[in-house]
Amino acid sequence: MSPATGLDLITAVTTAVITAVVHLTPALAQASDDGILWLLAAGPAGGVATYWAIHRYYRNTDKSHAYERDTLIDAQPPQGGEERIDHIARTRDSDIDGDNADKYRQRVQRVR
Amino acid sequence: MTQDPVDPQRPAFDGPPLSLEEELAAANADPEPQPSIETVNESLKDGLNRCPKCGSTDVRLRASTGMLVCLFCRNEWQEARVEEEFGLGEGIDQLEGTVIATGAQDIRPDADQVLTFKCEACGAEVVVDTAHALNARCHWCRHTLNVNQQIPNGAVPDAVLPFRLTREEGIERIRAFASKRRLFAHARFKREFVPENVLGVYLPYLVIDARAQAAYWGKGEVETRRWTEKHGDNRVTYYAADVYQVSRQVSFTVDDLTVEGSSERADFSSGKTNNIVNAILPFDTKNAVKWNASYLVGFTSEKRDLDVAAVTPVLEDQLLSIGRAQVHPSLGRFDRGVRWEQERIDVGGSRWVSMYLPVWLYSYRQESNGMLHYIAVNARTGETMGSIPVSQPKLLLAAFTVGTVLEGIAGAILVAMA
Repeated sequence: MSPATGLDLITAVTTAVITAVVHLTPALAQASDDGILWLLAAGPAGGVATYWAIHRYYRNTDKSHAYERDTLIDAQPPQGGEERIDHIARTRDSDIDGDNADKYRQRVQRVR
Repeated sequence: MTQDPVDPQRPAFDGPPLSLEEELAAANADPEPQPSIETVNESLKDGLNRCPKCGSTDVRLRASTGMLVCLFCRNEWQEARVEEEFGLGEGIDQLEGTVIATGAQDIRPDADQVLTFKCEACGAEVVVDTAHALNARCHWCRHTLNVNQQIPNGAVPDAVLPFRLTREEGIERIRAFASKRRLFAHARFKREFVPENVLGVYLPYLVIDARAQAAYWGKGEVETRRWTEKHGDNRVTYYAADVYQVSRQVSFTVDDLTVEGSSERADFSSGKTNNIVNAILPFDTKNAVKWNASYLVGFTSEKRDLDVAAVTPVLEDQLLSIGRAQVHPSLGRFDRGVRWEQERIDVGGSRWVSMYLPVWLYSYRQESNGMLHYIAVNARTGETMGSIPVSQPKLLLAAFTVGTVLEGIAGAILVAMA
């Protein structure tokens, strides 16, 4: 194994493990019973993340042509509007349900 | 941003209704001929492609220069770029209807796959199976025979983008890609990996210019307040937000959107690794040249088998995605995000050209599950992508080891906290 190979792989695995640990940190901070359970889940979560990261690095199943970025596109400024229709007074959700603003390839109901 | 709520369900007004007679006449009328671009290379005909200097037919591509070279007198030349020859870079914002170049016309099921040529040099009859090759050697006089006319079987495209990377450069990139992924690679793959088995393949693509308008409707939320409440030992954050009905429309043109023209290559289901070949796009299609079968000598090619109608849904899907990317920067004020619920694409005009694009392709069939893995190199830009079979036992061992170490650390933290 060349030094470059090891470096690439270590980077991929470290990223995956850090991602898993970052998700567990808030639970750890609470130090409650829930937090202890989450902390105990660090092992399985890290194992799954490692498997997933290495598999993706080797098989590249998630790769495809980024045509949204790599095509010559000439666009006019977007038009449109927005109208306030409701108010949420109290929720624990930090963001909207089903946020797909940056999931460009996720299709929604097609209007003909 | 203007206040312009749009009702997506309301049909657009397209003039007063026609009378019954007018409706019947319109239904019985012959369909209007589709506009087309004539891309046949008139300077060539089926048979012998001769060197313009010495008349030899031993002509092939010299990848290092991207030009045709005569192996007899070393003269080098090239065909004209289709971008200027057929005006493909112009007038995209004025495109109307579906304009299809002659090499991208519908494939006729009755079109011949196997052609018989009479060798112009010696008179022998030579057979060419266009499904696999567009050149053949006359077995009597050794002249190279070429298929240059556009047959309605999808074998001859409008344009070809010649190989630029040499075979050695392709092998080097494939070797470098695989050598970075040795540790967890399947043992049998490592044993049988021979990058010298790489093949130079011209793959069929439809290259599309289009003018479109996309519209999207959905909900967006803006946070108005955030506070924390204490519940026992826990602190919980709560949010208040305004909900908006959001709409966006954007008009745009795309230049040289490239889509697979082979149904086999366009199959991205999970059991295939065709996404690998897709991921090495884009090509510098602006440099594609007029068809000349001599560019294919020494390479293999895959025939186009998808018509414009079959690829149109793919085009619309990609245009919808491009439109979504274009309107994304206008959504900045919705800090809690936007959920698009409806979308519409109107393609005002499109222009379709078929091209052969060059790929260095290494393929490996994994015996254990029958999956075909590719390592592909874009033979113009050098971009490389691949799928390497993994050793599941090694992968599981690595996952188990990392999991055990993390669990040990977690246990140590818990003990320290207790």
